[in-house]
Formats: sequence, structure tokens, C-alpha cells
Amino acid sequence: MMAPMTIRDRAGITGTAFDAWRLIGDLEVTLDVDVLVGAYPDRDGPPGTPAEVLGTLARHRIRAGAVAALRAALFDVPSGNDEALALRGAAQDGTSFVPVGTVDLRDPIGAARELERLAAGGVRGVRLFPDEQGVEAGFPSVGHVARRATALGLTVLTGGDVRRFWRPFAGIGARVVFLDTHFYHLGDFLVAAADEPGFHTSTRLLNSPDALETAAAEVGADRLLYGSRTPHAEPLVPLLRLATGGLSPDEVAAVAGGNARRLLS
Amino acid sequence: MIIDVHAHWGPWFFTMDVAGASLATMDRYGIDRAVVSHTEAVIYDAAAGNRALARVLEEHDRLLGYVTVNPRRLDEAARDLDAYLPTGRFVGVKIHTDYTGSPVTSARLRDALALVAEAGCPALVHTWGTSVLDLAQVCLDTPDLRVIAGHMGADGFRYAIEAAAACDRLYLEPCWSHAPAGRIAEVAAAVDGRRLLFGTDATLIDPSSAFGAVAAAGLAPDLAERVAWRNAAELFRLDITD
Repeated sequence: MMAPMTIRDRAGITGTAFDAWRLIGDLEVTLDVDVLVGAYPDRDGPPGTPAEVLGTLARHRIRAGAVAALRAALFDVPSGNDEALALRGAAQDGTSFVPVGTVDLRDPIGAARELERLAAGGVRGVRLFPDEQGVEAGFPSVGHVARRATALGLTVLTGGDVRRFWRPFAGIGARVVFLDTHFYHLGDFLVAAADEPGFHTSTRLLNSPDALETAAAEVGADRLLYGSRTPHAEPLVPLLRLATGGLSPDEVAAVAGGNARRLLS
Repeated sequence: MIIDVHAHWGPWFFTMDVAGASLATMDRYGIDRAVVSHTEAVIYDAAAGNRALARVLEEHDRLLGYVTVNPRRLDEAARDLDAYLPTGRFVGVKIHTDYTGSPVTSARLRDALALVAEAGCPALVHTWGTSVLDLAQVCLDTPDLRVIAGHMGADGFRYAIEAAAACDRLYLEPCWSHAPAGRIAEVAAAVDGRRLLFGTDATLIDPSSAFGAVAAAGLAPDLAERVAWRNAAELFRLDITD
């Protein structure tokens, strides 16, 4: 019924067909905006020890990771943040951490206190975990934390659906990176970001064939930050997308860490 | 050599403009052949989309086609199978359970897959979560059916391992926009390597997603070759000349 079709194999290709590094070339990430230490108790996954995380980053030529502690996100904010802050200076194979703080959106009063402590300690960024903490964008806590973090000059790295979580950060001059922007929702990010110069997005899930290029054309590549979610997601995927896309070399360098350093260093 | 067993042709309704991106996207990742369904057929009108894809396939010899079947319209599907499979340019059937409102557990999906089994070609069926287990049961209940679990259950990839163990006519295809660490390596370690395929979901998803996830698994050369093209060539009965 089906006529056989002849396909001629291509000669001269060595190694397996899935050689990502041949495509990535010499691209290095100078600062990954989405790195975690610790493990999720409700998931099978890596233990997320600092040494393991540094090793994974180094193997992918990611020279620094903006790291937050799941201990702070899931259990105890002060000790978790202390765990993250203690990673400043840790290095392995030329890769190091840039610690960011975390607050618990289930405790907006304590969150405000912790933001003060983090800012006083020289931290430049605070990461929010609304999904893990069961917090919706419309809860008063989110707006409160957004305003307090912005007033302290902190860059906010937030999870959650960008179609909802843009709102508490709008109109207050916030500097925020949406870590979970999926390419399905790129249009919502772009129209929100057009009115908000402080809105940025991770590239982790912008993996349609033209999402990065569309975003760069609409709002500028300075709004895009490489994020991997190491060690819970494969850093190779957004790395490959960035390396093989249509951005200029300067734009790639900005996305690969220049923009993150501007916001967090 | 790479054969992408899960690809598309045509526009999408998201903020994207990739209707003509297929061949350039394939080139970027060294994908020699792609088995595509037309987005119009998957999302809206199966018959109109199949007609449109037939015209596309006349222009592009690197593409092979899926006849898309809407389980709600089996008379129409039977006509399309009779019209397109004998051309040799269409090599399988695509069924999207969500866009057609036809869960794997529904009677109409079973009837559609019985029609596919009778036609003698493989079917690519969208699976998510536990539905991959339901697909394995339908496959067991349908003699001679060969079925590809599209997305291999996505976040339900561990169910896909169970499904593949339960039915030796069920194949797994990995594409997903998310890339949890170790997903491909875990599946590859647990499933018969003869039933692992490569798919991207292009042009909805850039091949970097599936390619990067498979690359991260560090498959041994023999298995990588099976995943890249050999299993697909056997499943679709393509004649490969080295």
C-alpha cells in the first residue's frame, strides 16, 4: 500500500546525530538567572547539592548562576537565605554563584522584614515561588512584596504564569524577570513589557522557532535573560536554542549574561 | 541522519510566524526527513488540512505526511486514508485527542485506531500524563495496531515506561516544551531501545527542545542511531540507503 521511499544517509558525520556542542560552538553563559540549590520533597529529582549544581553549570560552560535556596522557598526563609548567601565565593572549574534571596509569599509581614535584611546585606535580587507556595497573583501579599522589593531597589525573579503575575508588578517601576514565560504566552509578555521598561523574561521556555527573535524585535534583546533552572531542568535546551537562533552576537552575549549582570551584579 | 516523526506544517494561532519555517528549522538541526501533519488538519478541519498537506508534499521531498484523523468524522477519515496512503507520500495517521475532544478512553478514539490498524500504518497519538497508559490498553485491544505515544506522556513519562512495557507495539516519541532533567535518560534506560523515536513538534516547538533533551541523555552510539532514524525507518517501512 505504501511505496517505499529511499533516503540516502549523509556521509562524513561523526559521533551521534545528537551532538549539541557542535551546534553550540563556543557560546558561554556569563550569568544564568535561574539556578536552585536543594531538592523538592514532592518530586523525584536531583538532590541539588551546591557541588552538584556547580558541576552541572560548569559542564555547560555557564560561568555563574543566580542561585536561590529551596530551603527558603519551601521551609524556612532566614536559614534558607543564609544557606544561599553562604554560597558567595564558592567556585568550581571557573563557575561560581551569585546568591539571590527568597521570601515566602504566605507570610507578607515576615517577607517585608526579610527584604530589608537582604537589601542591607547587599543582595541585589529576590526570587519568588508563587506556584510552590500556592499563592495567586491577586493575593495582597504579592503586590505588597512587589512594592517593597521595588522600593528597596531589588530585582525580582518570579515564577508563575506571566499572564497573571505581570499585574502586581505593573505601574510601580518594578525590575522583574518572569522565569516561567512559556512561548504560548509570549504575546501577553510582549504587550505588558511594552509599557513596562523593567519587565524581563527568562528564555527557558521561549523555545518556539521564533520566540527569541520576535521578542528581540518587539521589545529588545535587553529584556531576555538566559535561565536554565539547573539542576531540575536540562540547561542544554535553552543553551542550544540561544546558540542556533537568529540573534546577533551582541544580542546573544547580552542574553547569555550581560543583561543578568546589569540587573543582579 | 535524523528522522523527525512528530512535526507539522502550517500556521499556529500563538504569537509566532513559522508557517514557512519547517525546512530551515530542519536544516539547523540536521534533520533529514520529517513526518508532518498539517496544522489545519490537527486544529480545525482534518479533510481540508489533509488536502493542503498533499499539495505541500508534492513540493518538498524531505517531508512525509500523516493523514490526520478526527475520530468524530470516521467516514471522512476512511475516505482520506484510501485517497492518501496509496500515494506513498503519506506514511501514517495523526490523531490529536484534545483538539478533537476525543480522549484515549473514548469509544470513538478506539474506533479510529481500529480503522488505522486496518489501514496498516502507524498512528501518532497525542498523550499527556496517564493517558499513555490508556493508549497502551487500546493498542493491546486492537490487533496489529502500531502506535506512537506523542510526547511520551510529557510530564507522565514514567507512565510511558509502564506503557511501553505493557505493549510491544507502542513506541515513544519525546517532544515537549519543558525539559525536566534526566527525563530522556530515565526512559532510555528502562525501555526497549527499538521502540524509542525522535520527534520535535516543529514548527510549534523549535527542535532545540527535543534535540537538546536527547543530547543531554548521552545515548550510546547504537541507541542514538536507533532513536535518530533507524527505528523510524523500520516503523514506517522506509527504505534507507547508506
